Amino acid sequence: MTNLLQMQNIERHYETPAGVVKALDGVSFEITQGERVILLGPSGSGKTTLLNCLSSLDSPTGGSYSFNGSDVPRNHSEQMTSFRRENIGYVFQFFNLLQDLTVLENILLIQELSGKKDPKRAVELLKLVGLEDEINRFPGEISGGQQQRVAIARSIAKRPNLLLGDELTGNLDTETSQKVMSALVNACKEENITAVFVTHDEGLVQYATRVIRIDSGKIVSDKLVNTAEE
Amino acid sequence: MSTLLNKRLARSLWRTKLRLFAVVFMVSVGVFAGITFGGYSHNLDGMYETMHGDDKDGANLGDLWIDNRSTLWSTEQVADFCLELTRSLAEASSQGLDSCEGRTILQGAMFYDDNGDEKIINSLWHGIPSNANSDRVWMPEGHSSGRVASANNEIVIDAHVADALKLTIDDNVTIGAGNASAEFTIVGIGYHPLHVIMAPEGSIFPPEAGEFVVGYLSDTGMSRLTGNDLGSSNLIVLDVNGTPSFDLPDTEVYEGEEIDDIKSAVDTAINSTELDARVRDRGQNEQVEVMRQDLEGSKRATVPFTVMIAAIASITIVLSLQRLVQSQAKEIAVLRTLGVPRKSLLSGYLIAPLAIGGLGCIIGCLIGPWGMNWMLDFYQNIVGVPIIERTIPLATYSTVIIPTMLIVFLSGILPAWKASRLEPLEILSGQNEMRVGSNLLRKLTAWMPTTLGLSIRSSVRKPIRLTMTFVAVGISLMLFGSIQMMSAGIQDTLITGLEDDQSWDVQVFVMTDGEDAVLEWAANVSATTELLIEMPLGTVDDSSDISRSFTVVGLESYTDGMREVNLIEGTLPDNSQPTTQVMMDEGAMVFLGWDIGDTQSVSINGAETAVEIVGITRGEISRTMYFIRGELTEITGINATSVYLVMPEGVEIDTQLGEISAGIVERQTLIDGIESLIEQQTQIFQAIMYLGLLFTIAVMLNTMIMNVAERDFELATLRVLGASTKRLGSMLLFESLLIGIIGGIVGVFFAYGGAIGLAASFSSWEFYVPVVIVPSVAFQLMFGVIIIAIAMTPIGVWRLRKMNLVEKVKDLSQ
Repeated sequence: MTNLLQMQNIERHYETPAGVVKALDGVSFEITQGERVILLGPSGSGKTTLLNCLSSLDSPTGGSYSFNGSDVPRNHSEQMTSFRRENIGYVFQFFNLLQDLTVLENILLIQELSGKKDPKRAVELLKLVGLEDEINRFPGEISGGQQQRVAIARSIAKRPNLLLGDELTGNLDTETSQKVMSALVNACKEENITAVFVTHDEGLVQYATRVIRIDSGKIVSDKLVNTAEE
Repeated sequence: MSTLLNKRLARSLWRTKLRLFAVVFMVSVGVFAGITFGGYSHNLDGMYETMHGDDKDGANLGDLWIDNRSTLWSTEQVADFCLELTRSLAEASSQGLDSCEGRTILQGAMFYDDNGDEKIINSLWHGIPSNANSDRVWMPEGHSSGRVASANNEIVIDAHVADALKLTIDDNVTIGAGNASAEFTIVGIGYHPLHVIMAPEGSIFPPEAGEFVVGYLSDTGMSRLTGNDLGSSNLIVLDVNGTPSFDLPDTEVYEGEEIDDIKSAVDTAINSTELDARVRDRGQNEQVEVMRQDLEGSKRATVPFTVMIAAIASITIVLSLQRLVQSQAKEIAVLRTLGVPRKSLLSGYLIAPLAIGGLGCIIGCLIGPWGMNWMLDFYQNIVGVPIIERTIPLATYSTVIIPTMLIVFLSGILPAWKASRLEPLEILSGQNEMRVGSNLLRKLTAWMPTTLGLSIRSSVRKPIRLTMTFVAVGISLMLFGSIQMMSAGIQDTLITGLEDDQSWDVQVFVMTDGEDAVLEWAANVSATTELLIEMPLGTVDDSSDISRSFTVVGLESYTDGMREVNLIEGTLPDNSQPTTQVMMDEGAMVFLGWDIGDTQSVSINGAETAVEIVGITRGEISRTMYFIRGELTEITGINATSVYLVMPEGVEIDTQLGEISAGIVERQTLIDGIESLIEQQTQIFQAIMYLGLLFTIAVMLNTMIMNVAERDFELATLRVLGASTKRLGSMLLFESLLIGIIGGIVGVFFAYGGAIGLAASFSSWEFYVPVVIVPSVAFQLMFGVIIIAIAMTPIGVWRLRKMNLVEKVKDLSQ
């Protein structure tokens, strides 16, 4: 298996009036191609900060982070944006679809921004997440679960190397969560996409191949799961 | 609780300081402009009242002028007329006659030694007896010097030209009036109520300082200058007890009942003494009427300018408060969930605009007097008459503040109502942020690249806000562009007419039958000549039966002569027709409601004449009827009133020409005078123009900032998903361009509408302002708005760059 990314002794410290807050305190791990990793941990454990560092939205204050063998840019907004554009797909908890664009156009926009416009693939992706009948609808006209599936299709539309999700089922009921996660797993397998999700929900472990537990900015456990199924 | 809520709102407003300051600034500018204009017109009013007053401080402006410049009445004729008038007035009216005085006014020249070069300056000479009752020389204390002329070698020079020509008391000047020249000693420097604007008779364009001289001789001095008998006159000035009302030509209603009784007695006296004369009241006397209308224009401008500026401010307040309500929706929802009543929320949002308006009003009131003094100083410099008393009455403050506060208060109602109507459940569940896009827009933009389509859809997402922005931009450009458009229209019409349609160098005015001497002089220097008649000899009754005076012009040819006309409709007159064919200027046609092909009866120099209107011309500020000269001569008995000359290279006006003429005007001097007047008039409004531009920038900035701020969510999403700043910047640029183009088009329409309104408010029988669209001005306006809109893009890009994505992702996940 190919190594996709490597974090070594990552620190993210914040200066606050109350003193230094260590959101990440010496985190080290590697992720290989095709893994579906779930980051579990209580509120304030540092999992979202870790996700932000992985996506290069935030820059670690210490340690090293390499992606596909190259150092990930830090403290340079445009380089970090470029890194995200080329490598990262992102799914938000509240879908964040653009309300003025149709379901299909939301996907086309991302392809257009990354210079890989491919309407055929956009339609295929919508088929993959079971929304081929909704392509000309506006987000306001479909359900939350459907919107999240559009968000998943959008996030993989540009064939990212790494798909990240923050509490992506946090706003959905159990049944819809399962549908969304099934669609996501299906898409990741089809597209051979590596994924990392942050969640509180232990029930989502069934969709992962690896679970990393984090607390107080440190990794407390890192286990492979569901390997037999894979 | 309300205090805390209001404190919360105040702090929220403070967070958007830039926008808050912009709104306070706009309100204060509106109030400032209102007080400036109000105070300005109030003090000008006072100045005219003092000058026209029948007391020791005033010049006692006449009530009626009876004149005929092509004749000279003897002392006996004038005395007979005055006696007859007193008699008929006693029968026709209860008004008593204060004075009936004969005067002589003549065009002439001053021979001025300009550092060794003799300069012949076009002039006007009044012969005023030293004990005159009305139309005296005005000599305000501290702003004039010397005394009135009483001996036959004394003259008072108008203060407008004394400085420019460096003339002082005891200087000697040589002047002429068409036959000879004589030397006079300056004994005073003062003003005259008929020459507040220093323009030659028949024109409202003052030449540059020192290019036109007015002097006030005694009656004996006038007799010495002209060689006429003492007391012979071409003008009779009447002053009646009090000031009878006269018709104001720029109003719809007729106010001239009081003066009509006197006019009717004057007509009786004219007929019985067989005088051939025209009768004019203050409303028909161009020199008086132009200044009255200028003053009225200033008064009228106070309210619309203030309201326009306050309207822009109120639109900005509505938009800003609405945006504030929107951005505080969650906070308001929480407060409502915690049990805060609607009334408490409502009051805060109603108080906010009042506080903003109050602050703006205080600032505007404090700086208003400064603006007023600046405008009065400016007027004083242009017109050259001192404005001594300067006060602002409380009524001016209240007239400005009350409507401003009302507009500002009303502008807070909608956002306040919206704030109080927010549904907590809807807000907290995020339902209020869900909306369904427009299918029509989707269809219209489906063919475009998605980024472009998104830009367009985002731009028109808030149609009401966008419309209000365009209205505000439109009003701002109305302030800026209408003045510019009107000035450009006047400039284009008048200057182009004088520069392109006319080819004469010099116009030499002549006394009756005095043209031969000028033609001889011209032949001697090989100058080309053309005779013309140009005099304010026409009168006509309009649809309201008000007698209107107009200038008659008679030329040999309108196609290959030295003066052509800008014929905008119809044909040139043909002198082989049974009915006299004429052309009339478009202003007169509009006011009289005449059409081409009409045959109308007009009075030319007292003779009723039927004329057929065959053409409409453009380019005359005063109302003018154009004849073929031969036909006009037949009607008036006048062969020529002046001679146009085209001078050969190297030939210049000399003393001989000065002595045989009744005034000389050079075309270039005329053009310079008009250009200078238009520039001065534009300068008065320049401050307003630039405020309009500033407001356009402020309104556009406000909308663009709101657009970007409101789209934080979607821009942050796109940034997180990898859209580069450059890409998003180009989206914003496209949006700016789109708003700029639409705003520019709307602005041009508003400016054109404003120019028409402005021209209509300035236009009267005496002064008609045509609105001619000069494409370059329209393009300039559009280009300006587009540039302003595009210039806002970097602000959006800067906002994108400083966006904290980690914080935004947190927001997006909440």
